[in-house]
Amino acid sequence: MDKLILKVVLFFAKLLVKQGIDFEKLKTIVETKLLIDRRRVYMNWRPRQQKENSNPLLITLVIYTVFGLFVGVMVFKIESFVICMALIHSYILFMMALTMITDFSSVLLDTTDNQIILSKPVNSRTLFIARLVHILVYLLQFAIAFSLLPVIFIFIAYGFTIGIASIGTALLTVMFAVFITYLLYAVILKFSNEQKVKDIVGYFQIFVTIFFAAAFQIMPRLVNFNNLLSIFELHWYSYFLPPVWMALTLESVKQLNFDTLHLLMIACAILLPLLTFWVMIKYLAPSFSKKLAALDNVESKKKDLFRKNANHINLSQKLSKLLCNSKIENSSFGMVWKITGRDKAFKMQLYPSMAYMAVFIFVFVFKNGQDFNQLWQNLPTTKMFLFFAYLPIFTIGSSIGFMSFHENFLASWIYQSTPINQPGQLLTGGIKALLTKFFIPIFLTLFLFVFYVWGFAIVNDFVLAFFNNIFIFFLIANLGNKYLPFSREQNSKEQSGRILYLILQMLTIAILVGLHYLIVENNLLIYCIIPISAVGCYLLLKRLQNLQWAQISF
Amino acid sequence: MSVIQLSDVKKQYANNYVLKGITLNITAGQIVGYIGPNGAGKSTTIKILTGIINDFEGEAIVLGMDVRKYPVEIKQKIGYIPEQAALYEVLTAIEYLRFVGKLYQLEDSVIERKSRDLLQLFELEDKANSRMNSYSKGMKQKVLLISGLIHNPEIIFLDEPLSGLDANAVILVKEILSQLKQSGKTIFYSSHIMDVVEKISDRIIIINKGEIIADGDFETLKLNAQQGSLENIFTSLTGDIGQHQNTAEQFIDILKN
Repeated sequence: MDKLILKVVLFFAKLLVKQGIDFEKLKTIVETKLLIDRRRVYMNWRPRQQKENSNPLLITLVIYTVFGLFVGVMVFKIESFVICMALIHSYILFMMALTMITDFSSVLLDTTDNQIILSKPVNSRTLFIARLVHILVYLLQFAIAFSLLPVIFIFIAYGFTIGIASIGTALLTVMFAVFITYLLYAVILKFSNEQKVKDIVGYFQIFVTIFFAAAFQIMPRLVNFNNLLSIFELHWYSYFLPPVWMALTLESVKQLNFDTLHLLMIACAILLPLLTFWVMIKYLAPSFSKKLAALDNVESKKKDLFRKNANHINLSQKLSKLLCNSKIENSSFGMVWKITGRDKAFKMQLYPSMAYMAVFIFVFVFKNGQDFNQLWQNLPTTKMFLFFAYLPIFTIGSSIGFMSFHENFLASWIYQSTPINQPGQLLTGGIKALLTKFFIPIFLTLFLFVFYVWGFAIVNDFVLAFFNNIFIFFLIANLGNKYLPFSREQNSKEQSGRILYLILQMLTIAILVGLHYLIVENNLLIYCIIPISAVGCYLLLKRLQNLQWAQISF
Repeated sequence: MSVIQLSDVKKQYANNYVLKGITLNITAGQIVGYIGPNGAGKSTTIKILTGIINDFEGEAIVLGMDVRKYPVEIKQKIGYIPEQAALYEVLTAIEYLRFVGKLYQLEDSVIERKSRDLLQLFELEDKANSRMNSYSKGMKQKVLLISGLIHNPEIIFLDEPLSGLDANAVILVKEILSQLKQSGKTIFYSSHIMDVVEKISDRIIIINKGEIIADGDFETLKLNAQQGSLENIFTSLTGDIGQHQNTAEQFIDILKN
């Protein structure tokens, strides 16, 4: 597939760019890069349990094609042709731009090229076009995946001519998406540094993961909401939006209407993407490459910052002083707090599971098809507050497992080379950081909501649930293998007993929630159980703190 | 006074002995160069002495304490700097040093002061608040060096301390090692850079296939091996003499054809 698309892209590249390009070298560079890609997996293409011979790119393409199904059905659902086409092209534009940012940033922002290839007899123009061709090979595959089903549905609903025209507008939208992404990077690079760009790309990747996690649950439900779509209307500013140009171009083909507005829109739809693409190749990209090359040599002057930060004590340091009993715990707390805020792999695992919390509320509390007002009025008469009280542990519980993984897991040599008597404290420091950083804010937010709906009566239940959540959290840490923070490789093969461990975890949650449900009417009993749960937490924490080296897994 | 004692230390991996009975005595204040070809057992020896590996045969005593019985107490008094700059690179240098300092139970104010001053000394102050994934290999190596010395250890174990450092940093590290020696520290380090070992070591130990094959100061080794430089002594003792020359000749022949 790659090779065929490469041939197609190279054919067009030869037509478009003639001067100063050595096509043999270009082909060699792109072929080598494709080979490297096959051996390296991009972030969003990686399924959780990656098998040796699995093809993550193909899986992603299939998923994106399925996404196209949800968008494609709009062809039959929305009466307004223009709005329907505008939505489909917005989807293609949005998805292409996101894909460019999330999956191809490493290709676009790769400065190693400069060191490896530019030291060989290859001119910078050839290298730049090679980079572009490399990206286009993938983008075309993604573009096909995004637009395949919508275009097929357009063929079915509106006939051959509109179908063919929609392929053209889809391609023009893809070109525009590439331009927008380049522009975005150029702007970021102009005002910022490499680290900032990497951070922004990281946030985009997390956003996309959360977006997909939520969209998979919510989108099929939205398809039924016909009324929702009637709110889309064309305003005067809509005519500045590329998807509207495309939609009106298709409308003029459909109605054979070539009035001034439609002709203007056709001109925008065809000329602007081509023009912007040309501007990008001719002007934007070379300066972009220069900027990238310069990134290697940027020495940020941070002397003042260094001085300023010397005496500055931040939030994590204050909290760790308050919550940790020893220097070892304190140091682990600080490290876990910082790394969990920066490590993309950790965030990409935890944040989507946090996003699922919203999905759970949507699915279980505000059930589809029921009148919202009625649900809201009846809510205080239900015992749904228990659902809110135990929701955090479902999503945050897995963070203990995520905490043990890290790309630089070899750096955990430091634990063994420093004078640590009770390595369990490294674990408890990390667990305390996770609880403080992720569990408590979520729990408090949910408590405020529940307090607003149910009132004072549920406070004792929430206090009990607070300790029970922590009890389960500590129990999860006590069960199974004990890995120190960031001491394991991400693709660790060791999965034995994982299912059993998950079942045990779920069973414990179910038992505790079930018991709480049984005594929910008995306030006195709840007050009696609160200290028992608190003592349970204390004992489990002590057990973890006292872990010895022999009990730690590597 | 002897600060490191190894008595007939053996270590095996998968029925293969990588250390075949090492016996050593190192007195305080010495700089010991520990050299040998790849796979000779250098890193294993250092890991045993630093308490990282504790399943071995024989006896290892560091600062009068058995490494198997008192690994934590020993680690508090020694510094270890591995060859591979394995660091949590999403942290900044200052954050990493804060983390390591606390593991050594240092006071916060001491960690802050020492980290700041040492980073400045190594000309890393501009990058102190940048994440280490943007550092060059040499910069990471400097952070690693600081992290191993921040608690002012009595014995310093270094595994290839000069790898990845620029020329100025190499001179600086050599000078630091000499100064540390003058202040009574014991330094045990392995390196491939023979001329540095030759120049700064009081004592050179050559290990090959898990056994010590030479031990003494440079002058003694030179006399025994009848060779002019440590490089020549090394190749003559590890049995590679003539082989490097042959390989180089073959390499040139292949290029020419």
